[in-house]
Amino acid sequence: MSKVLELKNLSYVYGTGTPFEKTAVNNLSLSIEKGEFIGIMGHTGSGKSTLVQMLNGLMKPTSGQVLLDGEDIWANPKDIRKIRFKVGMVFQYPEYQLFEETVAKDIAFGPTNMGKSGAELEKAVNDAARFTGLKDELLEKSPFDLSGGEKRRAAIAGVIAMNPEVLVLDEPTAGLDPMGRDVLLSQIVQYHKERKNTVILVSHSMEDIARVADKIIVMNKSNLVMFDKTKEVFSKGRELEKIGLRVPQITKIMLELREKGFNVPEGILTVDEAMDCISSLLDKEGKIW
Amino acid sequence: MVRDVAFGQYFPANSVIHKCDPRAKLIMLVGFLVIIFCTFNYASLALVVLFTALFVAASKVPAKFYFKSMKVIIFIIIVTSILNVFYGSGDPLVQWGIFKITLNGINRAIFVSVRIICLILASSCLTFTTSPTELTDAIERLMKPLAKLHFPVHEIAMMMSLALRFVPTLLEETDKITQAQKARGADMESGNIIQRVKAFIPILIPLFVSAFRRAYELATAMECRCYRGGTGRTRMKTIHMAKRDYVSFVMVALLIGGVILCNIFLPAAV
Amino acid sequence: MSFISLDNISFSYSDIESGQPYKNAVDGVSLNIEKGEFVALLGHNGCGKSTVAKHLNAMLLPDKGKVYVDGDDTSDENKTYDIREKVGLVLQNPDNQLVASVVEEDVAFGPENLGIPPKEIRQRVDDALKAVDMYDYREHAPFKLSGGQKQRIAIAGILAMQPQCIVLDEPTAMLDPNGRDEVMTTLLKLNREKNMTVVLITHYMEEAVLADRVVVMDAGKILTQGTPEDVFSQAELLKKHRLDVPQATELAYRLRGCGVKFDKLPLNAEQCVKMLEEVLS
Repeated sequence: MSKVLELKNLSYVYGTGTPFEKTAVNNLSLSIEKGEFIGIMGHTGSGKSTLVQMLNGLMKPTSGQVLLDGEDIWANPKDIRKIRFKVGMVFQYPEYQLFEETVAKDIAFGPTNMGKSGAELEKAVNDAARFTGLKDELLEKSPFDLSGGEKRRAAIAGVIAMNPEVLVLDEPTAGLDPMGRDVLLSQIVQYHKERKNTVILVSHSMEDIARVADKIIVMNKSNLVMFDKTKEVFSKGRELEKIGLRVPQITKIMLELREKGFNVPEGILTVDEAMDCISSLLDKEGKIW
Repeated sequence: MVRDVAFGQYFPANSVIHKCDPRAKLIMLVGFLVIIFCTFNYASLALVVLFTALFVAASKVPAKFYFKSMKVIIFIIIVTSILNVFYGSGDPLVQWGIFKITLNGINRAIFVSVRIICLILASSCLTFTTSPTELTDAIERLMKPLAKLHFPVHEIAMMMSLALRFVPTLLEETDKITQAQKARGADMESGNIIQRVKAFIPILIPLFVSAFRRAYELATAMECRCYRGGTGRTRMKTIHMAKRDYVSFVMVALLIGGVILCNIFLPAAV
Repeated sequence: MSFISLDNISFSYSDIESGQPYKNAVDGVSLNIEKGEFVALLGHNGCGKSTVAKHLNAMLLPDKGKVYVDGDDTSDENKTYDIREKVGLVLQNPDNQLVASVVEEDVAFGPENLGIPPKEIRQRVDDALKAVDMYDYREHAPFKLSGGQKQRIAIAGILAMQPQCIVLDEPTAMLDPNGRDEVMTTLLKLNREKNMTVVLITHYMEEAVLADRVVVMDAGKILTQGTPEDVFSQAELLKKHRLDVPQATELAYRLRGCGVKFDKLPLNAEQCVKMLEEVLS
C-alpha cells in the first residue's frame, strides 16, 4: 500500500498575534494509506473540522505540511483548486449548497469546474447519482423540490462526481432519521468498496464510525490523541470516556462485563459480535439450548 | 473573515453610557455627527476629539473592540486622505509634475481622517453600549407620532431588530456556503468582471433559499410565542429619561456651542 | 378529561399551486396526554410526528377530528393565544427561533407578547434562565453560544410564558452529543422537579427510553405505545419498520430468542450489564 495523505507537524492557529489567538490543531503528524476508511472523532471544538479543511487546502496550515501523493499541496498555491478536486469535501448539512435548476446540473458543477464535458461529464453525473441512490427521474427535478434526505444525497453526489482520490465527509448523517442514516452509510460503504478510494468520515456517532471505519483518528483539545485500528481504539473505552467521548452502548456493556471479571474480549463493536461471545460463554455453562 | 467585523455588535458592561436612555443616545449621536462636519479649525476639531475620547472612555468597552471596528474602514480613511493631500489649493510645498502637496491639502487630509475616525468611534460607542432591541425600541418610540398617520412604526422597528439579530447568522452562513462551493472547485479569484459576478451565483442562491427558510421558521417560532403585532405588547426593559441623560444633553449642547464659537472667532483651516 | 386530548384527528397538507391535498400526514390519530407526563413521540421523518406537534398548540387545526387543550377546542379562534400560552412549542433549529440579539431580551419576548408588566417579566426571565441553567449567560449574544446552550435559551423563552406543557419538535436533531445531553438533562429536570408536562418528538431511541410513555408513529398513524419497556420489547415490530432499538435491548432480546430467560428487557447499559451478570454467574 502507498501513502495517499501525509501530514507533517501540522498546526493551525487562529488570529495569530491578536488577543484572540487560539490553536485549533497542534503539531499533528500522521499518514493515511490509499483505500483506507478513516473515522475522525472528537468533540465540537476539538480541531477536527479545522483539520479536515486543511486536507484540501480550504485552510492553509500555520505551520507544517500536507502531502498528497507525496507532494506538498501548497507547493504551488496557484494550483490549490486542483487539490480540491483530488480531496473532495462534503460539509455538514451539504444540502444548503444546492443552487442549480436541476439536480443533474448541480451534480455537474464540480466536474464542470474541473473542465469535464460531454459524455465524460454525463457519466460522472450518472455514476455519482447511482452511488447515492438517486433515481433517474429525480435528476431533472429542481433540487429544491426534493425531500430532505434526497437533497442530502444530491449534495454528496456533487462531490463524488469529481471522483476524488480522497473523499472527506463531515457529519454526513447529522439530522437524518435512523433509516436515512443506515441507507446513507451503506451507500458510502458501497462507494468505498467499488471505487477503492480513501474515505474519511467525521462523526459524533460512535456507532456509525464503529460500523464502517478501518482506522480511527481521535482528536481532543487540538491534539491527536489516538490513531489506530477501530478495534484498538474502542478497546480503550475508559480513555475515550475520560476525554468525554462515548463508546457505542454495546462496547460499553462488554467492557463493563470484562471489568467485572468475565471472559469477554476487548473492543466489541456490534451486537452480532457481542451475541457470539456471550452465547459461547453460556454454551460452556449449558445455559443455552 | 467576515465574522471578524466588530462594527454593530453589542458589548454588555455596566457603564453610564450603557445606562443612558437609548433615545437620548440616538439623538445625541445625530447631533454629534452633524457637528463633526461643522469643524473648520483645529480648536473645534480638538473639542470634537476630546468629546469622542470622553464617550469612548466612559463606555467601559475595551479599546480592542474600537480598534476592530476601525479596521474595516482604515482603507477608506487612507484613500480619502491621500486624495485630499493632492487636491489642496494654494502654494505647493512639494511638487512632482502635476502632483503637488499644499498646506491646505495636508490640513484637509487631517480633517477628513479625524472626522471619519470620530464618526466611526461615536457610532460604535452607540452600538457597543446599546443592544439592538433597545436601539429599535428607541427608534420605535421616537417615531411614535408617525403611527397616528398609519405609518407601521412597530413593524419597521421589529424588522430592524430581527435584521440585526440575523446579520451574524447570515454572515456565518455565507462563509460556510463559500467554503462548500470552493470545495467543489468554484473559482472566485480569477476571470474578468462578468465571470466574477457569475461566480457569486452559487453562493447567492443558496443564501437566499436559506434566508427564506429561516424567515419561515422564525415566523412559526414567533407565533408559538404568542406574537401578534405591537398592540398589547409590554417591554421588560422600560426606558425613561434620567438625570444622566439631561447631563449628557447639556454636554453635547456645550460641545455644539463651543464648535460654533470656535468657528466664529477663529480662522478656518480648511 | 386529559390535559391534551386528540380525538381521531386527520390532517393533510396541500399543494401550493393546485391546492390539491396530498396524502394524509396524520391519519386518524387519537392520543391523550396527562398533566405531568413525559411523552416521547418517536418515528421516521415524514411519519407525521411533527404535524401532530403543531396540532398541540393550535399552529395547525385538524381537517377531521378535534383537539382539546385543557378543555378548550383548538379550533376556537378566541382561544388560540390562551392555548399557545399553555402549550409552548420549541422547534428544531435553535438559530431560527431566537428573535433578539441578547439572551435575556430573547427570553422576554414571549411574556412581552402576553402583555405582562415589566417587573414580572424580569422575574419570569430570571426564573426561566435559572431553570435551564443559563442565568450566567443572560447578557450574552446567542449567536456565540453552542447549539445546546441556544436550545436551552429557546426552552427558557417558552418557560417564561409559564406554560403547563412544553412540546419539543426534534430539539436535539442538530446538536452534538454534549448538546443533546444538556437538553435532555434540562427536560428531565423540568419534568421531575417542576412537574412540567413534556412532549418530546425525537428519532433518538436513547432519548425516548427516558420518557414515561413512548408513542411510535408510522405513516400518519400510531403504530404502538406504552412504557419504554413495553415498546422496545417489541423489537420485531420496530425492526420491521426500520426503527432502532437500543443495543442493550437488542442484545437481550436476541439472547432471549436463544433461550436465555430474562423477566424484562433492559433499556440501558447499566441494566443490561446487571442482567447479564446474573445470567452468567
